[in-house]
Amino acid sequence: MTLPEFFGCSMIAFGPPFALFVFTIARKPIRVIMVIMAAFFWLLSLLASSLLWYAVVPLRGVLAFGAVFSVLFQEYFRYLLYLLLRKFEEGLEAVADDRTLVDNKHVLAYVSGFGFGIISAMFSLVNVLADLTGPGTLGLNGGSESFFTVSAAQALSICLLHIFWSVIFFNAFDTTNYIHVSYVVGSHLFVSLITLLNAQQLYAASLTINFIVTVVSGILAFSVAGGTVRSFKRFISCQ
Amino acid sequence: MELHGTQVVKYVLFVCVLLALLSTSAVCGKRLHEKIYESFFGGSCFRRLNGTHQTGCSSAESGSVGALHYVDDNNQLEFLLNSPPAPPYAAILKSDFFTRPNMMRLKNEGGRNITAVIVLNAFNNYTGDTVSFSHELKCPNQFSGILKPNSVETSTCSAMRPEDTWNPWGSGLLHEDFPFPIIIIPDNETVVRLIECFKRFNSFDYENQHLRSLCAVEIKSFMSAAVSTEVCWRRSNYINNLAQTRYCDPLEGKNIYATLFPRKIVDVEEEDDKRAAQVDRNEKFIMVTTRMDTTGMFEGVYGVGAMDSLTGYTILVSVAHTLSRLLSDKKQLQNSNLNILFMIFNGESYDYIGSQRFVYDLENLYFPKPSTHTAPITFDNIEFILDLGTFDDITNIKLHTLSEFPQAKTLLTKLQKYGNTPKYDFNINFQSSVGYQMPPTSAQSFLRKNLSFPAAILNGPPKNRFYHSVYDDGANLKYNYTNSSLDYTKLMGQNDALKYFHSEDVQMKIRNVSAVIAMSLYEMLAGKEYIGEELPSPVLIDEILYCFIKSQNCPLFFAASKPNSFTKLPLIAPNRYISVNRDSQEATIWTYRIMGYLLSQKIPNASQENCTQLPKYWFAGYNKKGECGITTQNFSLALSPAFIIENYNWSSGEYSTWSESTWSSLSSRLFLRPSRTHEIITFTTGIVVFFISFCLIYIISTRSEVLFEDPGPNASTDALNPPTAC
Repeated sequence: MTLPEFFGCSMIAFGPPFALFVFTIARKPIRVIMVIMAAFFWLLSLLASSLLWYAVVPLRGVLAFGAVFSVLFQEYFRYLLYLLLRKFEEGLEAVADDRTLVDNKHVLAYVSGFGFGIISAMFSLVNVLADLTGPGTLGLNGGSESFFTVSAAQALSICLLHIFWSVIFFNAFDTTNYIHVSYVVGSHLFVSLITLLNAQQLYAASLTINFIVTVVSGILAFSVAGGTVRSFKRFISCQ
Repeated sequence: MELHGTQVVKYVLFVCVLLALLSTSAVCGKRLHEKIYESFFGGSCFRRLNGTHQTGCSSAESGSVGALHYVDDNNQLEFLLNSPPAPPYAAILKSDFFTRPNMMRLKNEGGRNITAVIVLNAFNNYTGDTVSFSHELKCPNQFSGILKPNSVETSTCSAMRPEDTWNPWGSGLLHEDFPFPIIIIPDNETVVRLIECFKRFNSFDYENQHLRSLCAVEIKSFMSAAVSTEVCWRRSNYINNLAQTRYCDPLEGKNIYATLFPRKIVDVEEEDDKRAAQVDRNEKFIMVTTRMDTTGMFEGVYGVGAMDSLTGYTILVSVAHTLSRLLSDKKQLQNSNLNILFMIFNGESYDYIGSQRFVYDLENLYFPKPSTHTAPITFDNIEFILDLGTFDDITNIKLHTLSEFPQAKTLLTKLQKYGNTPKYDFNINFQSSVGYQMPPTSAQSFLRKNLSFPAAILNGPPKNRFYHSVYDDGANLKYNYTNSSLDYTKLMGQNDALKYFHSEDVQMKIRNVSAVIAMSLYEMLAGKEYIGEELPSPVLIDEILYCFIKSQNCPLFFAASKPNSFTKLPLIAPNRYISVNRDSQEATIWTYRIMGYLLSQKIPNASQENCTQLPKYWFAGYNKKGECGITTQNFSLALSPAFIIENYNWSSGEYSTWSESTWSSLSSRLFLRPSRTHEIITFTTGIVVFFISFCLIYIISTRSEVLFEDPGPNASTDALNPPTAC
């Protein structure tokens, strides 16, 4: 991985989240705090899943096992975060000078989803980037040259997915819509397990599927957050 | 909700098991960089400095990267030198292509296109007379020998007349400064790997190399010293308030010496002026000297120096051993004040470090050092010096002297007499050579101080095509280990020797020379002709060569140590490059021990308890049972006086100024280097994604009221409902 590749991959993975951060989060301090808190919850889930992975010695080599439980832990911690936020809503109302955070429940969901997404993308990609300090690229002993770009795109899709999932998930608990909850958990598991195909270098397949899931989740989140075909049309036609 | 949760988990577990079954190979605990890089070992060329210049190689600080290109004919060389498509390149040269013209072209014309050179072993079965591989100068130690008046160049050799030089095959690459790293690959497996990688990724469609990933190497051998020893020594000794950083270390080792008879034990004064009074004017020494070290261009892949220095070394040890057996009693001497000082100098390949220091020590009455409790020696104590040079051709030997002196004449007649005695059948032809045509050996350090010093050099005509290189090995010497398991500490008669060795064996040839020298010295000491049957043992020569060419795990090294001090020694030859003080100095330690053991006079029936105080030493001995001997060996420092003289003028050329740069790591690895096109595509994609997302999100965030205008049926903008189950 050379320097141009490093910057290329970083911008693919973190360019859109960075833009989101700049325009929607950075200006409101309380949102930044929320992002950090969500990221902390995601880290806690990682700690829990790593403890489990460490404890179950015979299954340490089985990636699927770790992946499944990591997903379940992440969703559980997302639920905990939801409970916490709802519990402290009144307090939040008192401190926040940002009324939208309290008025529009989706903003809170979006912000915490962003926290989840950014930290998870960082963990999946920074690990790769750290191993790549050097002049070489994959391919000498198998492995494809496009590995890095694929990893970056994967990280981007995970980051966006977490935002969508959080919006759907929080709303689903607010409205006790368990179909949406199971959709979030199910699609999260599905996406994680699909990435196991990367071991066989089926990058195109896994990436396409992930982006389809991302788009579907995005549409669902959009509709949950109050978007409709009509509003979208109005948006497009600049009315 | 809980029920639902468990169902999900069950379903997921099912899918997970399915997936795990499908992809059993999915697990790879390897870290990514292990998949990208393959390390390999190469002996690395490194930087040495002298008072005015730097030589050798250094990589870029973060490592030099180049795409492999195998150069096996001139077309490929032209390809590299004439704007190749995907620079930079690392040129792979077979060792027969690693010549001065090629390397100088790569250095001068390659520019930034060439970032590394890899040398491959091509001499697995070299027999042809056309092959040569020597990076030493045509005139080794060109600037430190006997000087012409008003000149800094030695007068004993002229590179202008190659036929008269001492190393006609020398390319001098060892003394060039290269802007790129050079490594040599000693291991055939790695050679195959490199060539396969080159063939798989690089060696087709050369014009479009810049469009694809190429097999490349990265070599890290960054040298911290630069310019000259003067500069790096000053920088190393500059102590700031935190810590001292070493940029270079002087080449430094130990000279090993031993006397034929033990010297008188006296208490030596530490102060210089008092020491002068302690010199014993009657004590006389014949010095027999040679060098211990060899050198090479590549760290970790030094040659064993079989022909360039080991023959002389073996002859000296064999002569010393023979004389110590023949003259075990001082009463046999004609002149009881005469003794022989066997001296093995270190660092002679680098402007005579050892002998220069010895001469310097003699001038300052600091040899032997006071801690040895023996009287200091001056030049007046030295009767004459017999220096053993190289013996490429062991049947035609010249006795070189600068001018005629009586001892040399006597010696020559004796050598000629014993060399042609029909009884022993040695058939060695000794000739005299008087004048400035002197081989580059230690004696030059003495003659440089005093042109009339009685010094003679025994040297054969140069025939070594691999002088100071990795190929100067046992095969170059045509040596095969006989492993006769006989007692090598005993002398051996001619008939016995011929039972185990052929007269054409190198062991026998070396024995013949040592026999002639030993007999001549015997006659000079004892005052009578040698008529005995006992001759130096070819078994001992066989063992010495085995230890220094093949493996340290040899009977002689065990015998010369304390009993049971090792169970196993390294199975490689000891490194004989002088190196720096911090290095292991294997060759010095072993020389010290075998000189002690082979020259010691055995004390019969002595017990181990009574044999602890030097000069008594408890050796394992030939039969490993332990034996007590009176030893005479010791060491003196081989560090150039330039490093101890205050305000030494580094460019004066008076003393050796060689130093070795320090380095933090030597490593090399193989990998695929992405093509420039691929890099540009990735980078551009990144930029495009970045800007598109910025624009898009800006638009969305400014018009979000339009987009999310309708809260929809599921939205909950009202006060929240408390969470249900859980």
